[in-house]
Amino acid sequence: MGKKRTKIKLGGSSVALKLISYVVVILFTIICILPFILIVSASFSTEVIINKEGFGLLPKGPTLSAYSWVFRYPKMILGSYAVTITMTVCGTILGLFLIAMTGYALQRKDFRFRNLLSFFIYFTTLFSAGMAPTFIWVSRYLNLRGSYLAVFLQLLMSPWLIILMKNFAKSVPYEITESGKMDGAGDFRIFISLIFPMLKPALATVGLFLALGYWNEWYQSSLYLGSSVTYKPLQYYLYNIINTANALRGSVAGANVTFTDLPSNTLKMATAVVATGPIIFLYPFVQKYFISGITIGAVKG
Amino acid sequence: MKNSNTKQQYKTEIVKAPKKSLWKILKDNKTLLLMCLPAIIFFIVFNYCPLPGVYIAFTNYNFRDGIFGSPFVGFKNFEFLIKSGQLWNLTKNTVLYNLVFIILGNVLQVALAIMMNEIRSKWFKKVSQTIMFLPYFISAVLIGAITFNIFNYDTGVLNTIIREAGGNPIKIYSMAGLWPFIIIFCQMWQQTGYGSVVYFASICGIDSGIVEAAEVDGATNWQRIRYIILPSLKPTFVILLLFALGGIMRGNFGLFWNLVGNNSQLFATTDIIETAVYRMMMSQNNFATSSAVGLYQSIFGFVLVMISNWLVKRIDPNYALF
Amino acid sequence: MREKKLTKRILAIVLSVITAVSLVGCGGGGSSKSADSKKQESDTGIDISKHEVVNMLVLGDKPTNGRLEAMLEQLNKALTEKANAELKLTYVEWADWQTQYNVQLLSGDDSLDIITTATDWLYAWENTQKGAFMPLSEEMLKTYAPKTYEQVNAKGNWDICKYDNEIYLIPEDYYTQYTNHGLFYRGDWAKEAGLPDGTVSKFDDLTTYFKYVKENKDDVIPWDVPGKNNTGGLLGGYIQSNTDYRVLIGCNVGNYEFWYTKAGDATVSSPYMEDDAIYRAAELMKEWNEIGVWREDVLNFDGDTREELYAGTSGADQHHSQTYYSQIKPNMDIKQPGSDAKMYSWGQENNNISKPLKTHGAAAISANSKHPERALMVYDLLRNDEECYRYINYGIEGTDYIITEDGKLAYPEGYDPSTDGLGANFWCGRNDDLELENSFIWSGTEDMIAGLNAIAYDYEYENLIIDKNAIEVEQSAIASVLSEYLPLLAYGKYDDPKEKIDEMRQKIKDAGYDNAKASLQKDLDTLK
Repeated sequence: MGKKRTKIKLGGSSVALKLISYVVVILFTIICILPFILIVSASFSTEVIINKEGFGLLPKGPTLSAYSWVFRYPKMILGSYAVTITMTVCGTILGLFLIAMTGYALQRKDFRFRNLLSFFIYFTTLFSAGMAPTFIWVSRYLNLRGSYLAVFLQLLMSPWLIILMKNFAKSVPYEITESGKMDGAGDFRIFISLIFPMLKPALATVGLFLALGYWNEWYQSSLYLGSSVTYKPLQYYLYNIINTANALRGSVAGANVTFTDLPSNTLKMATAVVATGPIIFLYPFVQKYFISGITIGAVKG
Repeated sequence: MKNSNTKQQYKTEIVKAPKKSLWKILKDNKTLLLMCLPAIIFFIVFNYCPLPGVYIAFTNYNFRDGIFGSPFVGFKNFEFLIKSGQLWNLTKNTVLYNLVFIILGNVLQVALAIMMNEIRSKWFKKVSQTIMFLPYFISAVLIGAITFNIFNYDTGVLNTIIREAGGNPIKIYSMAGLWPFIIIFCQMWQQTGYGSVVYFASICGIDSGIVEAAEVDGATNWQRIRYIILPSLKPTFVILLLFALGGIMRGNFGLFWNLVGNNSQLFATTDIIETAVYRMMMSQNNFATSSAVGLYQSIFGFVLVMISNWLVKRIDPNYALF
Repeated sequence: MREKKLTKRILAIVLSVITAVSLVGCGGGGSSKSADSKKQESDTGIDISKHEVVNMLVLGDKPTNGRLEAMLEQLNKALTEKANAELKLTYVEWADWQTQYNVQLLSGDDSLDIITTATDWLYAWENTQKGAFMPLSEEMLKTYAPKTYEQVNAKGNWDICKYDNEIYLIPEDYYTQYTNHGLFYRGDWAKEAGLPDGTVSKFDDLTTYFKYVKENKDDVIPWDVPGKNNTGGLLGGYIQSNTDYRVLIGCNVGNYEFWYTKAGDATVSSPYMEDDAIYRAAELMKEWNEIGVWREDVLNFDGDTREELYAGTSGADQHHSQTYYSQIKPNMDIKQPGSDAKMYSWGQENNNISKPLKTHGAAAISANSKHPERALMVYDLLRNDEECYRYINYGIEGTDYIITEDGKLAYPEGYDPSTDGLGANFWCGRNDDLELENSFIWSGTEDMIAGLNAIAYDYEYENLIIDKNAIEVEQSAIASVLSEYLPLLAYGKYDDPKEKIDEMRQKIKDAGYDNAKASLQKDLDTLK
C-alpha cells in the first residue's frame, strides 16, 4: 500500500477507456454540430434553391435575404436583445440565490419540515390548473398583463431546479454546517459564508439552466406580453417573424396584407442562428466553475 | 469514516430529546423556514392560487359567468377522449415514448458525463461541451425541417446517397415502423448534451480525497468509475427519474408535431395524447377540454409518482423525492 | 474577506431586484395624448363633453416603423374634433393567433371596445354565445352610428347579425372582396398543353395541365403544395366543382369542411358520407399522385408555393380570388413576364360559388366596454367619414400614399410595402363608397368581380348559430377519423381509395355522424 503504486497504470484498460471516451465524444460532437452547420448554411441560401435541392453543407445561392428580413427593424432586434439579456441576467442571479437557499434548507436533515415542503414544491409539477385559469389569474387578478414581470417572475424558480440544487447540496459534508454551528453562526450565515462557496458546480449548473430558461422563453411572452410592449423578448420576436409569414400565407386574412419576397425556410434558419448566437458563449464562461473536487481542507484547517 | 459517526451521534441526540410543541419546533427551524419562504410564496402565488381553476374542466365555460359560475357538466369534457376509441393507444404511445426518453436519456447522459470526465485536455473539453449544447437550442420546427431534408424521398440526403450508390430510394415518410427510432434519436440528440451537465457537475462535486485514496489503492479507471463515480451519481439518477415520472403522460408536443404533422401513415406508432387532442380540438376553442386533458395527464402521473416514491423510500429514504 | 464576498453578493441580489422592478415600468402600452375637449355636443346632439379613448382590437403585427403612430396622431385630431374621442389599437399578433385571439377575449380586458371578428374565421358566433360581446339595440345603433345603421339596414342585413333576437355584430357588408378559392396556373403553359385558349375551364383540364408540366418542364413541380399545412388538398375543390354541394360555414370538424347542404335543399349532409363524388375525387387524386403532381413526401413538406410560382419552379398555387387579383396576377406579370397567370375557381363551371359573406369581416363591441356609445360613434366615423377612413386605411396622404390623376391609390417614391406598411388592419368596416382603387392590382379586377357576381349565389345561412356543446364529442371523434384518412385520400396515397373511403364512412358513422347531423339540422331549421 505504499507510494510505489501511485504510478498511473498505463495498462490496457486505462488506454482503452480513454480511447473510447475520445471517440464517443468526438462522434457525438460531430452529430451535434452537423445539423447546426446545415442550419447556418441554409440561412445564407436562396429559398427556392433550398426547396428544390435540399440543404447542403455550403450555402446554395449565397444571399443575405433571410437575415435582412430578421434585421428589418434593427432597433427592435437590439431592443429584444437588451430585454432578454437583462431579464436573463437578473433572473439568473436572483433565482439562483433563492433556489440555492431553498435547496440547502431542504436537505438539512434537522429541518423538520423538509419532506413536507419538498412535497409542497414538487406537487406543483404534477397538477396545474391549465392555461385558461392560470391566465385569468395572472392577467386579471395579479394584473400582470403587459408587464415584463409576468414573464420574469414565473421563470424565477422551478421545482426541478430546486430539487436539483437540493441534491447537489447533499454532497456538501455535514461537518461544514456543524463547524459553523459550533462557531455560533445562524443557519443563514452558515449558508452564505460556508456552503455557498462550496456549491460552485451546482451553482454553475442551475445557473446555466436558469439562464437558458429565460433565454429560450417565448410562450409566456406570447400570452402576457403580445404586442403591448415595445420590445419583445428575443425568442418571441423571432417566432413572430416566422409565424407572420405562415399565417398570412395560409389564412383567409392573408389577402388583406401585401408582402413580397418573403423567405420561409431560410428565414427559420436565420432566426435560429440569431437566437442561439450569443448564448453559446455563456457555456465556456460558466465552464470554469466545473472544477473537479471540493477540498475538505477548509474544515480540517 | 468520520462522517457517518458524527451523523450517528447527532441522530441519537434528536431521538432522545423530549417532545416539543409546534411553536417550539417552528422557532427552532425558524431560519431554515425563512430561507424557504420566497419559494413558498412563489408557489402559492403562481401555482396554488390558480389551482382551484381546474374546476373549469368540469364546466361548460363561458366568459360571462367565469370559471365558477359556468354550468357544471360533470365529466362531459372528458367524454371525447374516451369516445375517440384511441385513448388506450394514445396512452400507451405517450407512456412508452416517455419511458424510453427518461431511462435511455438519463443513461446516455450519465455515460456522456463519465466520458467527458475522462478527457483531460481542457481545451477539448470546453469546445466539445459547448458544441454538445447546441442541439438544445434547435427548436422542434427546425428539427422537423432538418429531418425532412435528410429523409425525404425526392431530395433527401439519405436517398440521394442511396441513388448514387445505385440503390432504390426508401419512402421513409411512409414507414411507420421506423419513426419511433427516428423520434427517439431526435430527442436524445436534443437533450443529451444539456442533461449531461447535471451529471458532469455531480462528478465534479465528488470528494477528491476519495478519488485520490482510490488511486493510491491502485484502482484502475474502470474500477474508479464503477465503485466511486457511478454510486455517487445514483442519487441524482434516481431523483431525476422519479421527478420525470410525474410527467409521464405529458408528451413533447413540439417534437412530434413537427416531425410527423398530419402524416397519418405514421400515426399508429407516433401519435401521442397531445397531438391527437390537438387535431381533434382544432377550431373548437374549448378551454375547458384542454384543462380536462391536462387533468387526466396529471392524475396519471400523480398516481405513478406516489407509488414510485413510496417504493423508493422503502428501499432507501435518502433517494426519495420527498 | 468573507464580509466583502457577502456584501458583494447581497449587492448583486439587490441590484437584480431593482432592475427587475424597473422592468415593470418599461412594460405597458403607449401613452394616450389627451386632447382638450373642444365640443360639448356632437352634431346630432349627443353629449360628448368627456374625452374618451376607444380601444380597437385588430389582427396583425404591430408595425414598428413609426407610421402607425404618426397616422394615429392625425386621425385622433380628426376624431377629437368630431366626437371628442381618440382611437387606440390593440393587436393580436400572427404568432399563434387563433389561441391569442380567444385568450385576449378570455382576459376580460375591460379596456377593449371594438373587436374585429368574423363569422367564418374569427369565431364570431362562438364568442357571442360565450358572452364576449355586448348586445346592440337598434336605438343604440340609430343614435350613435346612424350612417352605418342606414347602410346596413338598406340591404336588410341586420337580421343576420342577431343572436337570441339581439344584434351583436356590425357587418362589413358594403365591401367587395371575393375570397372564393381556386387554383392559380400559368396561361402560357396551359396553351402549350393544348387547352383551348390556354384556359382551364373544368376540373379535369387540370389533369392535362399538370401532365404537361410534369413531362415538359424540367425542374418544375406541377403543384408543389405544402401538404403539411394543406391537409384536405383539393377534395373540397373537386366536390364544389362537380356537384351542387354547398359548404355550411361555422361547423368545421377539426380542420376540415365536412358539413354541407345542397342548392335549394336545406338538408344537412356530407359528401364525405353520401354519394359517389368523393370516390371520383379520390381516384383522381390517386392519378395525380402517380403522375407526380406533387412531391412524394408532400404531407411533410412545408414550403412556400407562392414564391416558387413566382420563381418558376412550381406550376400552380392555391388560394382565393382576392389574392389573385391583388397579388398573383400583378406579381407574375413582373416576375414571370408572359406567364399569363390565370385562376380557375372552384365551382366556376357549375355556378357553385357563393357571394362574399357579409360577415366575413364584422365589428362587435366588447361586453365589458366602458363606453360603447362613444365606441359606436368612432366606428361610424371610421367607416363613413372620408377623412377618417383614409387615415385608418391608407395613412397620411403624401407620406403613406398618393392619389394618382385618375383617382387611384399609389405609393410615393421609395416606398417599400414590406417595411413601410401602415398595418392598421381595419377589417371590420370597409366601405366601397370610400375605397380607393389600388393602382397595383390587376386592371381586369372589375371584370373578374363582375363575372363572379353574375354567377354567384347568396349564402343563406349566415345567421346559423350552432349549438357546439351538443355535438362536441361527435365532432372531435369525427375529426379524429378525418385526420386519419383525408390527408392520404387528398394526396392519393392509398392503393384502393374506394375501400378506404368505405372504411372511413363506417368509422364516422360509429363516431356519431347521425347524432351530429340531427343536431345541426335542428340548428339550421331554426333559421326558417
